Amino acid sequence: MAEELDGLITFFASHHAIRGEKVLGEIGLEVELVPGPKELSPNCGVALRIHFDERGTACARLDEKKVQVNEIIRYRPRTDDWRSPQSRRGWRHLFTRKSTP
Amino acid sequence: MTSPIYFDNAATSWPKPPAVRSALDAYFGPAGGNPGRSGHRMSIAAARIVEDARDRLAELLNVSDPAQIALTKSATESLNLAIYGILKPGDHAVTTSIEHNSVMRPLRHLESTGVEVTVVACDRYGLLDAAEVRAALRPNTRLIITTHGSNVVGSVLPIAAVGAIARDAGVPYLVDAAQTAGAIPIDVEAQTLDMVAFTGHKGLMGLTGTGGLYARDSIAPSPLLRGGTGSRSDLDTQPDFTPDIYESGTLNVAGFAGLAAGVAHVLRIGPANVETHERALVARFLAGAEEIPDVTVHGPESLLDRCGVLSFNVNSLTPSEVGTLLDQQYDIMSRVGLHCAPGAHKTIGTFPVGSVRFGFSITNSEAEIDQALTAVAEIAQWAATRSDRA
Repeated sequence: MAEELDGLITFFASHHAIRGEKVLGEIGLEVELVPGPKELSPNCGVALRIHFDERGTACARLDEKKVQVNEIIRYRPRTDDWRSPQSRRGWRHLFTRKSTP
Repeated sequence: MTSPIYFDNAATSWPKPPAVRSALDAYFGPAGGNPGRSGHRMSIAAARIVEDARDRLAELLNVSDPAQIALTKSATESLNLAIYGILKPGDHAVTTSIEHNSVMRPLRHLESTGVEVTVVACDRYGLLDAAEVRAALRPNTRLIITTHGSNVVGSVLPIAAVGAIARDAGVPYLVDAAQTAGAIPIDVEAQTLDMVAFTGHKGLMGLTGTGGLYARDSIAPSPLLRGGTGSRSDLDTQPDFTPDIYESGTLNVAGFAGLAAGVAHVLRIGPANVETHERALVARFLAGAEEIPDVTVHGPESLLDRCGVLSFNVNSLTPSEVGTLLDQQYDIMSRVGLHCAPGAHKTIGTFPVGSVRFGFSITNSEAEIDQALTAVAEIAQWAATRSDRA
């Protein structure tokens, strides 16, 4: 499941990530393209989630296929914790007042 | 795929009008020749399509002679053509702090070759005081370049005022209309614009790989490419007449078939009506976002200073996180980050992390805005809950 992908590969450009998804998928690694976390790198529109313990295999494959990589880190997006705070009465009832900007 | 809420029209417009798709039938059929090369009926049919696109673009921009519009593959190519075609070492150029990289990267490269560049600061809303452009002019200023509508914050720049200043000073003025062609009325005569760079796949509802540059006859940038034009084939030097001088190589005929249909669609609606529609969507989102704690919408306070693009942030979340949730949980397509315009983000104070951008089109609706407000509100509420627990 995507929530168990605890590693992240960031790239210098989105097309590197797209190629990365393809070449890693070809050898059976579980991967997921996600928006690139801008707090980590301003470079790429998309990044690639992987199982962090498969990073060695991933690195070797990416290197073999000449896919340029920025870095590979242990990373789990906070958005994995998403729980929809749905309000049956409409979104305005989620708040009592607007915070001071 | 269930229909998403597509709010990334500033990157490329979607969906396209059905006529754009059906216009490709001619390319796969009787108009499948190479325009301007051969004399047979299939080449002639392809040439008619290309000239039809050119004519419609001329009507859109109020260009008296369609030959003044060079067809390119993108607004980026058009901007490069104008900038590299005019500026030489020792020249001075004036631009603004909210330009896209398709303007800034050529200028920064030309700086390394001896061109001086003055970047006039826009305010934190992304607005420009035209008088500051006048103040920046020097005896060796050879080009003024501004965007028409910011691709980050949606601010609309005073191109008519800058056009008047440029005309008065005798300096060519290039407008980047990537976000506004088809979405805001542009009149090269009334607004005294010397050059307008545009793309075919945003507000003009055409295909990627199409764009163009309008250049007044008195402005003659050097071409970027030289090669076969299907004209003056007796010479091995580049023709000196428009548009051939700028159209070497085979044009993207399929693309311009689609663009002709896209521009026709926009002309039928009327850019002024597109402007009204998009501005109403922006107004609706602004009004709702005002009620959502921890959400900041950037850009001008007045709707009259806005086009159909806006940027916002949710406190305690990065733009990437907001964009991920919008896409995965709400089927809302947006673009997050720096939008190829680092200067714009520095200007509005969102550098280096950037923002979430919505880009609207004539196809978006108030109902979609309301769904987006629900999404943003729920995301902001979730973020606040997480912050409380941290």
